Amino acid sequence: MWTSWHEIWGSGRGPAARLAPQTRILAGAILFAACLASPALSLPGTALVAVTTAAWVCASGMPRRTLRSSALLGLAMFLPYLLLVPFIAKGPSVPGQGTDWARALAAPWGILIHGLAGLLIATATVTTLMMSDLRSGLLALPLPRVFTAIVVQIVHQTSVLLAETERVTAAVAVRGGSGKRRAVVRMLISLPRVWLPRILGRADRVAAAMELRGFAEADLRIFGHRPAGAPDIIATVTAGAVLAAAVTLRLRLL
Amino acid sequence: MTAAAPALAFDRVTVRYEPDAGPALDNVTFSLAAGERAALIGLNGSGKTTLLMAAVGLAAHEGEIRVRGTSLSPRTAAEVRDQVGFLFNVPEDQLLFPKVIEDAAFGLLRRGSARTDAYRRAAETLDSLGVGALAEWPLQQLSHGQKQRVALAGAIISAPPLLLLDEPSASLDPPGRVSLARLLDRLDAAMLIATHDLDFAARICRRFIVLDGGRVAHDGEDVKILENLIPGR
Repeated sequence: MWTSWHEIWGSGRGPAARLAPQTRILAGAILFAACLASPALSLPGTALVAVTTAAWVCASGMPRRTLRSSALLGLAMFLPYLLLVPFIAKGPSVPGQGTDWARALAAPWGILIHGLAGLLIATATVTTLMMSDLRSGLLALPLPRVFTAIVVQIVHQTSVLLAETERVTAAVAVRGGSGKRRAVVRMLISLPRVWLPRILGRADRVAAAMELRGFAEADLRIFGHRPAGAPDIIATVTAGAVLAAAVTLRLRLL
Repeated sequence: MTAAAPALAFDRVTVRYEPDAGPALDNVTFSLAAGERAALIGLNGSGKTTLLMAAVGLAAHEGEIRVRGTSLSPRTAAEVRDQVGFLFNVPEDQLLFPKVIEDAAFGLLRRGSARTDAYRRAAETLDSLGVGALAEWPLQQLSHGQKQRVALAGAIISAPPLLLLDEPSASLDPPGRVSLARLLDRLDAAMLIATHDLDFAARICRRFIVLDGGRVAHDGEDVKILENLIPGR
């Protein structure tokens, strides 16, 4: 049911995946910001978040399996905050903030809507990008080169570390004679003794390889990037308009 | 650099990982002529990888290491590394780019080659290693043996005069080992190959340097002496 980390990258087949890489990153970031800025407690705000998220998910063409996994992960992460509502409602009431229940619902609801939308938009953006697109897209944006190099390596090495983690989990399962789920629990318990030293050892060796291959000194623009065209301008302006609408709604509520 | 300078020279080199611990390399002296190939042989923990790491300044050392006449120091490390192709024991450690062709071409791009030229040569090198069809693949989808070949492509693409290879045949199937041996045999570079695969070593090298407890226990062309030095051989 779950989608692995490296399967997500570049798995989207929608129109957004055909934009220049820098546009996909920029539009994704702007829409993410728009969803966070939009007031979740008003009907127009919630509608803006829902429509924006649905539109970007459709434009990315992310696989249904990835959409389902992301939505479930988001619900698992943010839905439990609603369990706090009865406790907040019992607290002292605040004049001018509606009934106790409405007031108690406000914060958990905001967290759920913003968190779920942010997660879906981020995942949809990732599905529009191959890992190499991420590098060329970041390099085309006005960001510090060091920042780009670090982000690219974090993403690249995350795949390696996840593979390493899977191997450790499998080894724990085999050597401990337990099933995969119990192995995951055992692995979590043994993190400081087993997993961390291995990961630190790998980090050491990767750092040595980066030094040896001249990665730090290299200007990654050597790989080139795709220039932006008319569709990229339209996509960026549209995303900007959504952000402006979200900010306007937020300001009207103040 | 002088014309007669050896490709690699160790002069009484000692490496310690901890100040109070015993040395990982102990007073090692040898030299490798330009174009010469030597196998570095020894049991696990004998110091093979440490020696290779020290040769490119990745392990602090006492004594002198020279690469084509240039004495290795923090100031000259970048210059020395530009002349060395290095294959790590675990290929994943040195693959720094998400796509096969990008990783293979990086060495040339970094040295200022035009992109089309670098990609063409990368494709040729990958082809010669039998992984040309994987050029556009993400690295995560490769097997361990395929990663080994891609890492090797990155090491040899700029035709460095010195190759330091740590277990290059470790993850290869028998046909892969044979084709790798043939490929390395065609290269003009001096090579120091750390390996446990003595048959593979004997295909490529005439000289065998045996390490034992961080010391050079044997350095010569007589492969038969290995039978006495390496238990189980």
